[in-house]
Amino acid sequence: MYHVGKVLSPLLLGAMAMAGVAASGPAAAQKMYDGVTVRIMTRPGPVIAQRLVERGKEFTEMTGAKIEVAEVPFAELFQKLLTDWATGTNSIDVGVFASSWAPEYVDAGLLQDLTDYVAKDTKIEINDIAPFFREYNQKVGGKTYLITVDGDFQMVYYRKDILDQMGLKPPRTWDEYHAVAAATDGKDLNGDGTPDFGSCMFKKRNAQSYFAIMSIAAAYVQTQGTSEGMFFDPATMKPLVNNEAWAEAFKIYKKNGEYGPPDELNHDIGDTRALVTTGRCALAIDWGDIGPLSLDPGGEAIKNKMGATVMMGTKKVLDKATGKLVDCDATRCPHAIDGINYSPFAAFGGWTGGINAKADDKVKQAGYDFLSYMNQAAQSNVDVTIGWTGYNPYRNSQLDNLEPWIKAGFTEESAKNYLGAIKDSLNNPNMASDLKIPGTAEYQGVVLDRELARFLAGEITAEEAVANVETGWEEITERFGRDEQKNLYKASLGITN
Amino acid sequence: MTSGTGATTTSRLGRVAPAGPNASVTTRARLNEWLDRQSRQLFIAPAVIIILIFSVFPTIASLVLAFSNIRLRAGSYQVQFVGLRNFRKQFFGTEQFHFLGTFTSISLLGWIVTIASAASLIWWLYRYAKRDFTILGFIGRLITASMGFGLALLFSATLFSGNPFGTLGVTIFYVIVGCTIQFLIGLGLAVLCAQPIKGRTFFRVVFFIPLMITPIGIGYSFRMLADTTKGPFSPIWQWIGLGDFGWANHAWTARLFIVIGDSWQWIPFIFVILLAALENVSRDQVEAGQVDGASGWQVFKEITWPQIAPVAATVMLIRIIEAFKLVDLPNIMTSGGPGIATESMTLHSFFAWRALNLGDSAAIAYLLLFVTVVLCVSFFNLLVLKRLRPA
Amino acid sequence: MITQNIRMSPRRSLLRRWFEPKSIKKMAPATAVIVYGLLILWAVFVLFPLYWLLITSFKLPADVNAGPVYLPWIDFTPSLHAWRELFVFDYEDTLRAYINSIIIALLATVLCVTIGSMAAYALGRIQYKPKFATIVLFVLCLVAMAVVVGRWGVDWRLSLAVALAVFFVLARAVGRHFKATLGNGDILFWMISQRILPPIVAVIPIYMMFQSVRLLDTHIAQILAYAVVNLPIVVWLMHDFFVTIPTDLDESAQLDGATRFTTFVEIILPLAKPGLAATTLLVLILCWNEYLLSLFLSTSNAQTMPILVAAMNAGERGILWWSMAVVIIVMIFPVVLMALVLQRFISRGILLGAVKG
Repeated sequence: MYHVGKVLSPLLLGAMAMAGVAASGPAAAQKMYDGVTVRIMTRPGPVIAQRLVERGKEFTEMTGAKIEVAEVPFAELFQKLLTDWATGTNSIDVGVFASSWAPEYVDAGLLQDLTDYVAKDTKIEINDIAPFFREYNQKVGGKTYLITVDGDFQMVYYRKDILDQMGLKPPRTWDEYHAVAAATDGKDLNGDGTPDFGSCMFKKRNAQSYFAIMSIAAAYVQTQGTSEGMFFDPATMKPLVNNEAWAEAFKIYKKNGEYGPPDELNHDIGDTRALVTTGRCALAIDWGDIGPLSLDPGGEAIKNKMGATVMMGTKKVLDKATGKLVDCDATRCPHAIDGINYSPFAAFGGWTGGINAKADDKVKQAGYDFLSYMNQAAQSNVDVTIGWTGYNPYRNSQLDNLEPWIKAGFTEESAKNYLGAIKDSLNNPNMASDLKIPGTAEYQGVVLDRELARFLAGEITAEEAVANVETGWEEITERFGRDEQKNLYKASLGITN
Repeated sequence: MTSGTGATTTSRLGRVAPAGPNASVTTRARLNEWLDRQSRQLFIAPAVIIILIFSVFPTIASLVLAFSNIRLRAGSYQVQFVGLRNFRKQFFGTEQFHFLGTFTSISLLGWIVTIASAASLIWWLYRYAKRDFTILGFIGRLITASMGFGLALLFSATLFSGNPFGTLGVTIFYVIVGCTIQFLIGLGLAVLCAQPIKGRTFFRVVFFIPLMITPIGIGYSFRMLADTTKGPFSPIWQWIGLGDFGWANHAWTARLFIVIGDSWQWIPFIFVILLAALENVSRDQVEAGQVDGASGWQVFKEITWPQIAPVAATVMLIRIIEAFKLVDLPNIMTSGGPGIATESMTLHSFFAWRALNLGDSAAIAYLLLFVTVVLCVSFFNLLVLKRLRPA
Repeated sequence: MITQNIRMSPRRSLLRRWFEPKSIKKMAPATAVIVYGLLILWAVFVLFPLYWLLITSFKLPADVNAGPVYLPWIDFTPSLHAWRELFVFDYEDTLRAYINSIIIALLATVLCVTIGSMAAYALGRIQYKPKFATIVLFVLCLVAMAVVVGRWGVDWRLSLAVALAVFFVLARAVGRHFKATLGNGDILFWMISQRILPPIVAVIPIYMMFQSVRLLDTHIAQILAYAVVNLPIVVWLMHDFFVTIPTDLDESAQLDGATRFTTFVEIILPLAKPGLAATTLLVLILCWNEYLLSLFLSTSNAQTMPILVAAMNAGERGILWWSMAVVIIVMIFPVVLMALVLQRFISRGILLGAVKG
């Protein structure tokens, strides 16, 4: 029964796709997943969740499978999924969550290996998915466990109109960033008569600030390509954090605040985006969302005025032997461009769907088909051009094909600029992978986040902060088991020895 | 019910079950009889059992968690006993700054406060030992005094020496400052409302409303109100030159805002009960006092206050117990920021739980329980009971 | 001072008249100004946040983001967009959470008040003499069980059975040797003192317990948990109401042949009605607003309103204040209505009885 189901279902899937078209007649035939309910859990709000609901209705129409989306606060999502699955409650069949959490779920044996499902899937066009997402994001230990619905990494956004007007070039390093921020801060950027801000950066505790700090630190730490890693020494699992590179990143992050809104410390990404989309910021760090958000209703103030560029690079990088910052040269920074080392950080890694290993076979198949449906170019190439979905490009066809973007409201120039920045990031061989080992939520969301918050609040110095992070990380590593963590860290970077 | 009643009466008096003509009635009667005999237990059993299962047992189990390292595996928990490690970490290890605070050297002011508090506590113990000594009472007071001294030392080493304090200090701050403000304002409002005014019902209803509102809602509303750019007071902030001032950027303003939100919700509770107490104060005595020429303050101090003091002490005890549990407001308004300035112990524990570090989470929760119990029991024994006991 | 003025100044100037009460039951005009002034000030402080919530719910995003506007129809044009969004688009989610909240709050309150008032009545009428040693033994058995489960991973059902067996075997022996007993006052204190327990201490094991019997994310888990945390309040308040009812009534009823249950249900409860109502409403409100327990015990099906409200923040485009305001208003509306009902009881000073201790 089990095997029959497994073999039959992909066949049926093919039939279903056709039946989906045929079934639109009045005497609708029995649909393939009639009576099947797929319960999905993800974060709340229009972002991510709402599109799942809408596409879910289409999917139900096509296949009969009912899609139920449960939304829990982002901060609780990680442990809600883990406990639901680990404790055998199994009230959830599919989780849509950060790809960086997958190793912990896989390690606990909770996620279904999707390799076979993908192999039999005729519609997903797996090679159209950008290599970083295909190889690093969807896979854990060489096996595909996840299906991407959103591609995430951070970029720097700037007000092209303002910079052009003032004769400034888009920044490439943090020094240039600060220069631009200083020049634009206090100017009225959106013509409403009130002074606006040079730089907007979310800094609230227990929100997204730790992603920004990692984005800043990446270029200072990682030079040798994605497999080098920026968090630990793969040989000893010793944190690479108590050094001048991370301390510098902390200082840069704080310095940005000098050009930012007064209560920036209490701003999460939502507050920052509200400022950016109303045209109050000359510079900002964000995921890919700003591009499509500028096209949504409410983004009129910055429509076709936003430029995007790859995350700031640096001419000084970390010397791992001494923990000091040293100048870049050809051996130290093999991937440098004009002497500047870039390392776009795949912050969060993007929203991905994974399937509960304990779910019913038929539910698994229906769940997979739904994730695949979300991922397929026919759907996702439209969804990524809509800002409020929260979905950002992750397929080559989304980057090469300007047409949907122009249809969505971009001028050709803006579309090229935006997609160019994404392509520059994705094609950079030195792209930094997010931490993907058990305990990630604690390493980043508790320890790093807390020390960062204390540093920003002026409780401790940058040097103390990075030293504390190191101690905190070592403690977590010890608790989870050093060897185990080391092997998983290596696996997450694709190091096999 | 009626037939059963009749049957049991017989059984009560005659000890013999009536030989009823109808068998089913007899069964029911027997059942009723049995129930009545067990009623002693049956009345109280549900409450005791439910408390045992959902309160006592979890508390014990939580203690085991506090001494362990727990990991979730598919279908099970992996528990590893680690002894005192989770607690050591809070007091001496990497979490020290987070739980207790950052320590450098104690300043002169810090020393003065430490020594003064130590001296007064010793004096207090000495006086007790001389006057009416019982071993149990002395041990209790010793625990209270140690806790008092510990807290005095904590604040001397942090607050009075210019260092930030941790979640323990923040919790105590919420309890002491919050409850004091709430008591004073609540009492003040109750006294105002007890005056011969028109529309007392209106004021009472209006003042009562905040207590009904979910703390989450209050958290968001106050965040909205305090917003420096979008909030209703932003023109005022701009006007007094504080337009660029972010309340969330500074430890003390952030804490203050949380106390204001908390007070908005809880003042009504104190107000309502104290008002009821004031209305029960005999008018004759007050009027007699007034006729005798006592000032308003004298009347209050000599006649009114002694009568409402027991109620005031109890209402404050309730409030203090609840204040220790504060979590929703800092979670919503600041997420514990800036830094760790507004993080209460419940929030601290909650954050650890959220990353599934159950051992640390339980350890912090237990420390909170310990502090709460010692302080509340001290308050109860030393203030409430003293008030109730005729001197 | 005021009264002294009356005595010392037979002639009343205009200024004096302001500071002197006409009679002892009235206030001097100046005092009245201060008293009303302060009261009105506080009423504004209480009502303004609610007013702000209300008007925010009718604002367009632009009205909120562009800085404060205060008066509908004058400063800005009210719009129903946020209300429509909630009641039309998010209708299902909101309704589900709302129904969950109603079911859980109501049933938890009923359970809590029933169990609690029974215990409170019993503690006021029946003398209990639990042996101190038996209780210590029981707790020791539980501790041993928890340690065995935690430390060595023994199956909890097995260890519970063993622990209970050991307890019952030893209980008689222990009871024979140690005679010290506790009284009703101690039981009462023990029950009330459960309120001191911060929920965070107990919630993780409660979570694991419900998980092991597969009750997470169900109504029943939250109903039980809410009932337990509020039980101390019911026992406390109801105990004090029952104490005020003379015991003669019970005794005469029992002489007439009523059982204890009948006496309780048909005679005592009706007499305690006002107290029962006040207690019920108080517990209902506490259950309605409960956040932490719900956060732990619900995933999706049994989510309650506070969780829904908290989740509103997660919009990555800033808090949608207008939607937030609508949800909060919808959530607080029933309890504010209740406040209006409850105030009748409060004005009679009924809650006072309990606090007097």
